[in-house]
Amino acid sequence: MANQKNGTLLTVENLSVRYKTRAGWVSAIDNVSLEIRRGEVLGLVGESGCGKSTLGKALLRMLPPSSRILGHLWFDGQDLMQLSDSEMRRIRGKRISMVFQDPMTSLNPVQRVGDHIVETIQTHEPKVSKEEALERAGELFDRLGISRSRLKDYPHQLSGGMRQRVMIAIALALKADLIIADEATTSLDVIVEAQIIELLKELRDEFNLTILLITHNIGLVAELADRILVMYAGQMAELSDVYSVFKEPLHPYTQGLLNAVPNIELDDTEELYIMEGTTPDLIEPPPGCRFHPRCPYAMPVCSQLEPHFQPARPEHYVHCWLHEEIPAEFRQEVSA
Amino acid sequence: MATAERAIDQRPQWQRELDQVGLLRRFLMARRWYGADWWFAVLSGILLLFIFSLAIFPGLYAPYNPRAEVGPALLAPGELPPTFVLVTQEGSGVASLQDLAGEERIRIGIVRGSPAASALRDAEGRINEELREANAGVSLRLRNERYDTIDEALAGLAAGEVAVVVGLSSEIEPLLEQYPGLAMSDESITGQATRSFVLGTNQLGQDVLSRIIWGTRIALLIGFSAAVFALAIGVPLGLIAGFWSGPIERVLTLIMDSLYSFPGLILAIAITSVLGPGMFNVVIAIATLYVPTYYRIVRGQTISVKEELYVEAAESLGAKPLSILTQYIFPNVIPSVVVIFSVNVADAILTEAGLSFIGLGLPPDTPDWGIDLALGQRMLRQAWWLVTFPGLMIVIVTLGFSMLGESLSEILNPRLTEN
Repeated sequence: MANQKNGTLLTVENLSVRYKTRAGWVSAIDNVSLEIRRGEVLGLVGESGCGKSTLGKALLRMLPPSSRILGHLWFDGQDLMQLSDSEMRRIRGKRISMVFQDPMTSLNPVQRVGDHIVETIQTHEPKVSKEEALERAGELFDRLGISRSRLKDYPHQLSGGMRQRVMIAIALALKADLIIADEATTSLDVIVEAQIIELLKELRDEFNLTILLITHNIGLVAELADRILVMYAGQMAELSDVYSVFKEPLHPYTQGLLNAVPNIELDDTEELYIMEGTTPDLIEPPPGCRFHPRCPYAMPVCSQLEPHFQPARPEHYVHCWLHEEIPAEFRQEVSA
Repeated sequence: MATAERAIDQRPQWQRELDQVGLLRRFLMARRWYGADWWFAVLSGILLLFIFSLAIFPGLYAPYNPRAEVGPALLAPGELPPTFVLVTQEGSGVASLQDLAGEERIRIGIVRGSPAASALRDAEGRINEELREANAGVSLRLRNERYDTIDEALAGLAAGEVAVVVGLSSEIEPLLEQYPGLAMSDESITGQATRSFVLGTNQLGQDVLSRIIWGTRIALLIGFSAAVFALAIGVPLGLIAGFWSGPIERVLTLIMDSLYSFPGLILAIAITSVLGPGMFNVVIAIATLYVPTYYRIVRGQTISVKEELYVEAAESLGAKPLSILTQYIFPNVIPSVVVIFSVNVADAILTEAGLSFIGLGLPPDTPDWGIDLALGQRMLRQAWWLVTFPGLMIVIVTLGFSMLGESLSEILNPRLTEN
């Protein structure tokens, strides 16, 4: 278990995703490199439109045909980018599976929920009989707290929380190595959300799951994740373990993000922190650091040169000039 | 979660069972669940079964041969045919037309332009046939003497100008008192029982009821096969075009849209006039007409269903494109196809009627609703029953199909069974 924890499951190397639109190429993800370790929960947070979901889908190569993906995705010794479509289909669901945002629409309305699981199992393990697959689905349902009798229900007969449990059951059906949870609890109400989070926590420990948790809910990340990756405008802003990020966020954007979380104890005099500006246009992103137009600590260098994504402390990576040595010519400008 | 589980388990027992049983049992149990829809489905099902039995065994239901001239022309439903009687001089010994056989040049008085002439001609032919079969060696030869009114004819008979007068008993009876020397026969000269026809007769004296019953077969055959052909071509094309968009889709859509832009009947006329008349060609022509309808609906639905999250979810689980098409897209597209199908069957019957009407469809003596409608339409003022009953049959069949289609889709579509 211990050495499993340390192993790297997926290495993302210089991943860039561009979409072709009428206005030009949108760089939705720019040069992202990271490692997902076996058995960890990596929280991926950021504003809407920062490329979180695109990154999740890019890992499964499920982007629309109008997009271009560059870079490498090393998964278990092979580069997913080099696989053919049918080889990629064998990875999807079996090795990497995805839980979608909206459980209300992510199940086929004319298929019984049990058949969803049976189909997933049989797609990847054609030798398994329907009865066996159904039995496995029943076991999963037992584990996830859904009564077995619901296997024969249609999706509309289930509540949102139950559907999300079914989605999780499908993702677990083949014991996928990596589960990408794309805003998996966003559309649920808080009580059901808490139940699902609790369930995910249990499952993580029980099955030693590796989860990429894509969300804009900082609280969810704090609760579940081991490490946290903050993205801004298609780039990585900060990557570290949860404790150091929450204790001492280094990137100004992360600081803003944490301040923007509503606090239940907020009194009338205090106002909710609102970050200035909006996410930049990704067709022509700002030069230098993409965050500089909104950054309260912006320096001349920020609009000129892009900082490197490098460790400011051990295991704490940040993409900001505040934590990197500024090149000589800019330093002189500042002092002068 | 436990609360939600309990809440749903509060559904009555029979409703929970409903999900666990087979299709037939489910259908039977469903009447408590679906209420009025269930009765709709059952009633229309029974109606359609009856219509199908008409189409399969028309001989069992039809009282007459649909092509035979079994009665006088244009007899209203339930109306008794007119009785033509013989009027003779009392004591002449002539009681029926048979008695006149063998005599030379018998002069018979009739009213000019009255239906008596044709009744007489029929009777003459029939009696001569009987005499020939009996080898009697004699025949009946009649010579008509035409009068302007029945009164004049009777006066002529009284004066000895003619031997017999043939006329409607209802007209003769009140006049008979003025001519004491004349006697009227009791029997009709046609020799047939004076029967009426339930739905009347047409211009040719064919039984409308029998024609309608035999027409069911043709109507269903053409309506069904045309709609099935159109569905079998249009639905796969629509699925393919919607799923794999590209140049093929563009070309297909262009072709289908240009077909669709033609007025339906004109396109059918063009196709049948190239292919020639005949049942199969009519089916081809009508099917061509409906292919674009299926194509457009299915393509549009496919494009929208393709974007649904559950399709993306299936992709993320490694489902192959073909299984996405057959298991995710097709079942979600099919309800709208069923509705179009039921409408198309009815529409095809009408189009076939239109084609037969202008002579490009079936041979004119075919017992067919369309032909009957076309023929009856010319006589609309005199004979309302000629168009009413074939029209009613088309309405009933259409209604049956669309009622069954709609209510079945309500009952069998799991999405609509909510609550």
